[in-house]
Amino acid sequence: MGNLLFLFLLFGLNKLYFISTQLVPIEEAEWFRKNVLSEFEKRNKIKVIFLGANYGEFQDRINAEYKAKKGKISLAGGLSSDFESIGEAFIDLKNFLSNLKKKKINFLPFALKYNKYKGKTIYIPWLQGTYIFVANKKALEYLPPGVNIDSLTYNDLLLWVKGIWEKTGERKFGLPAGPRGLIHRFLHGYLYPSFTEAQIIKFDSEDAIEMWNYVKNLWKYTNPGSARWEKMDTPLLSEEVWIAWDHISRIKSAIIERPDDFVIFSSPMGKKGRGIIVVLSGLAVPETAPSKDYAFSLIEFLVKPEIQREILKGTGFLPVVENISFEGLEKGIKKIAEGVKKQNSGKNLIVSFIPGGLGNKQGEFTKIYRDVFKEIVIKNKNPMDILPFYKKKIIKLFKEKGASLPPPDNEIK
Amino acid sequence: MKLNEKYFPYVLLLPLLLYILLFFFNPFFNALKLAFFDENNKFTLIYFRELLRDPRFFSAIKYTLMFAVTIVPLQLITAFLIALFINRNFKGSKTLLFICSIPLAISDLAAGLIFLSIFTEHGFLNSFFYFLGLIKKPVYFLSYENIPLLFTSILIAEHWRATAIVLIILIAGLQMIEKDYIDAANVFGANFFKRIFYIIIPLLKPSIQSALIIRTLFAFQMFAVVIALAGDMIPVLSGETYFWYYIYRNSHIASCYAVVIIILSLLLTAIYLKFLTYKEPVYENI
Repeated sequence: MGNLLFLFLLFGLNKLYFISTQLVPIEEAEWFRKNVLSEFEKRNKIKVIFLGANYGEFQDRINAEYKAKKGKISLAGGLSSDFESIGEAFIDLKNFLSNLKKKKINFLPFALKYNKYKGKTIYIPWLQGTYIFVANKKALEYLPPGVNIDSLTYNDLLLWVKGIWEKTGERKFGLPAGPRGLIHRFLHGYLYPSFTEAQIIKFDSEDAIEMWNYVKNLWKYTNPGSARWEKMDTPLLSEEVWIAWDHISRIKSAIIERPDDFVIFSSPMGKKGRGIIVVLSGLAVPETAPSKDYAFSLIEFLVKPEIQREILKGTGFLPVVENISFEGLEKGIKKIAEGVKKQNSGKNLIVSFIPGGLGNKQGEFTKIYRDVFKEIVIKNKNPMDILPFYKKKIIKLFKEKGASLPPPDNEIK
Repeated sequence: MKLNEKYFPYVLLLPLLLYILLFFFNPFFNALKLAFFDENNKFTLIYFRELLRDPRFFSAIKYTLMFAVTIVPLQLITAFLIALFINRNFKGSKTLLFICSIPLAISDLAAGLIFLSIFTEHGFLNSFFYFLGLIKKPVYFLSYENIPLLFTSILIAEHWRATAIVLIILIAGLQMIEKDYIDAANVFGANFFKRIFYIIIPLLKPSIQSALIIRTLFAFQMFAVVIALAGDMIPVLSGETYFWYYIYRNSHIASCYAVVIIILSLLLTAIYLKFLTYKEPVYENI
């Protein structure tokens, strides 16, 4: 009944269908509709229908409309990797992007690095998410002498947590290695690139063996609760750990609740550089979009600095455009935004993307890193006996799906 | 009208039958299909081959069986003792029965979380030991580094959670035993243990059988308590099924796990039925 009434009210109004794999959780979607889209609707006298979808639904829908040469969807929002295998279904946004630049919308340089598909510009950057290291201020006095917290190496990190263990008898470093924790992202997007400059292709190299031996060492001083934790905000707040790594959305509530107790520090550096994962999402317009002009104005609206700031305030997703003032933001959110900005402008960055194009095999990709972790670190086996078997598995996965390797692997000759 | 009477019981059974068809056989056959047929509907064993290559599969079988063989006898003994005690019908025995069956009403995840708050590093048990001055630093009860301790913690939690169902079945069974038998045994001078081993246990066999079947099947479905306390450090079959379905997103391999659970459950139920079936004793010359 509610839906009928809603449709009735909509009658006669122009509609724009916006499908998205981002801002899908109910609270986020509600917030986005009420605070961002409604403003656009008022200004443009159009109703935006925001459809949350998972990766599979998103891809199926776009593909189906493209093949039927007729569609309803005018705007598609998704992760960079969501667009990868369906790039042909979207129009080239090259001219639109240069128009935006003329209107003084300046995107962060890295955000424009990966939006090409066969020479076409397929999406305009929209939101950014990432993972951060957080430390309780109590841990700072145990930092190895002469070390700056924002230019740690992974070895410094090890010395730091080892020092805490030696002085307090407690293991105060934590990782989300529970069943639904994201430790696999730490392995393939942070450690692997930092030690081997790649996520996948150097899977069983000598550098990789060195890396796994490092993880074994680090794990000795990691709180054993890590094997159970799925997100790190709670153990940080209960002070079971002082130092932790996790995705912003899973760690932010600790910082928002007690902003004065925590510091955010840049990812440590390995011998090849500072590996980080950037989760970048973008906005694309399908070839079959019925109202392209409205889609363009909605994109333009969503990348305005003041709207990007609103989204940061409401959801914790970071902006993709420059010159956003963090003043007046909630203290915790401000801290996160500044921390990420500092990390992204750090030296020797190796930016990793979560591989796209694996579709329903995405879960098995992550399982490989988790299984290797259990074999080598938990069961204390020799990396050389484990890695070659899993390397074959991972390469097979990419071949089966015909998926291309994600950055940084795709840039290594 | 006679015809109606003949078919009446079946009409009464129909809703149940429909329910079983819809909610048991339907998913059951779908799981079989997912386990043995690929996307093009062709028969295949590749999913089972992949299952056998999954390093966690054999550990999952191992731990599931270990839980089953430790927890089922333990629960049976505890429940039997409590049932004997409550069955003495003293003042307050009803209240005691009520308290003992509380865990029945608690979901297994909630039970897991309750025990998590007991065993965790800053949990009740550590606080209690600290208060008594037994420890200076928290003990990691739930650490992958000490699998036997972790296993025992899960055993305790699961023991608390699921003994109640066995208890209820056994109490019902005990109440069915006619007092005359016991009185007769008393007259002939049978002591407490003789009464238990020669009268109560043989007469309780049907209840023990149902309790064993239900409990063993439950042991194969053990899942939330293990995940709450051990994460995925102690793999069990149902847990792996869940992970493959929801996290690794491969419904074929998840279904293979489900098929393995079904086969093991059927096998054990058959064994119980064969060896524990209660036969009416034949009394000669009476």
